[in-house]
Amino acid sequence: MSELIVILLSMALINNIILVRYLGLCPFLGVSRELKPSFSMGMAVTFVMLVASLATWVINHYVLIRFNIEYMYIIVFILVIASLVQVIELFIKKTNFALYSAFGIYLPLITTNCAVLGVTIINMMENYTLLASLVSALGSGLGFTLVMAVMAGIREKLDLADAPKSMRGAPVALITATLLGLAFFGFSGIV
Amino acid sequence: MTHIAALAGIALACGLIIYLVFVKVPQKVKGLEKTEQINAILPGANCGACGQPGCFAYAQALSQQPDLVTRSPCSMTLNDPERVAQLEKALGVTLDASELSRKAVIHCAGNSEVICEYSGAMTCKAAAQILGGYKRCPYACMGLGDCAAVCPQDAISIDPDKNIALVDQSRCTGCGLCVAECPHNLIELVPAGTKIVLLCSYRPLRDIPGREKCELGCIRCRKCLKACEHDAMEWNKEQGIVQIIQDKCTQCHKCIEACERRGLIDLSKAHEEDPVRAE
Repeated sequence: MSELIVILLSMALINNIILVRYLGLCPFLGVSRELKPSFSMGMAVTFVMLVASLATWVINHYVLIRFNIEYMYIIVFILVIASLVQVIELFIKKTNFALYSAFGIYLPLITTNCAVLGVTIINMMENYTLLASLVSALGSGLGFTLVMAVMAGIREKLDLADAPKSMRGAPVALITATLLGLAFFGFSGIV
Repeated sequence: MTHIAALAGIALACGLIIYLVFVKVPQKVKGLEKTEQINAILPGANCGACGQPGCFAYAQALSQQPDLVTRSPCSMTLNDPERVAQLEKALGVTLDASELSRKAVIHCAGNSEVICEYSGAMTCKAAAQILGGYKRCPYACMGLGDCAAVCPQDAISIDPDKNIALVDQSRCTGCGLCVAECPHNLIELVPAGTKIVLLCSYRPLRDIPGREKCELGCIRCRKCLKACEHDAMEWNKEQGIVQIIQDKCTQCHKCIEACERRGLIDLSKAHEEDPVRAE
């Protein structure tokens, strides 16, 4: 049990997927302008990470390892994750339109996001069990959501700040991201 | 051999699952039939020119308020008569496609002389920062292709000899993405029924001393005005340019013949009679 908590905390804070592993930077800078969409994005990524971890764990253990073709994991994982997200999108579009509108454009956007692929590959490299994979995916997703929400909160305030003209927009956002990254390095060494 | 078989098997399984979900899962959500119907008519390019985040969102908005089609029209749909008819049927409105549909026109014949060597970033926006561009005319098309880069239809090409952008009118859907890109504001969206256009943006009212127009630029001689037999041309005093009243124009081409600077062209024959190509 304590092992799972360690995995959860380490994936969420210490080895944060965005600020420490530098994965998923595209949504981190692209969708972090307002709090609400960035939170939805974080939720969608968490969900897809969980589903993708489950699917890739099964594929890895029952197909790749069994037929001795582990070296093909990247292409197989991309294929599986992409089609899985498509199936989910199609399914909720047909059954629950409110949920579909809530996910909106985010679900297709994260189909081939490197953060999602990264978590599944980390799970594989660390030889996690199924439960540990799911916990690690949950931790990564929560860490992703946390960083997205923090960044969006700061950027909402930054829009009102009187930054020099040349620094407005992307430059000041990147500097904010750097400071945020430094702050998260403070977690390193806790576990 | 096993790895090929395994990969093919996984891919097949994935495809099969998507197909099964697509076919077998019942459509439980009601009230979307109209949206789906409209969505099928829309081009599906998700270009965003209508102001909605995608074609499906536009279809959803249209199903709730059909008059949106005139306020923020989808130009890609309006350029296809078949789609227009289907959309009219689906929405229960009548559309005047020629009224709403637009085409992009680049108001420059591109004969301006290059006055200095430019070796900075190869975008029009960067080049326009330095002395208003590297061509003699401050309203010249610099031909570095900012407009071509954003065109979703690949309708804009760069003429390699004259180094200016040309719009293929048959491909242009009038989405207007290029208009914002041009740092010299040369691109205008004109109604699709426009007949004659003036290929010059050099206007005396915004004259810049020492920066002259090229030998194809409009010199305000008003010969076209006198040549017109149908009162289809009038002089805009405020802007100092000739304006063409498209309703009265019969495309007799008298003005085009009268123009010594070859600044006027027939938009429908833009590619055949291009003053640049004709040389």
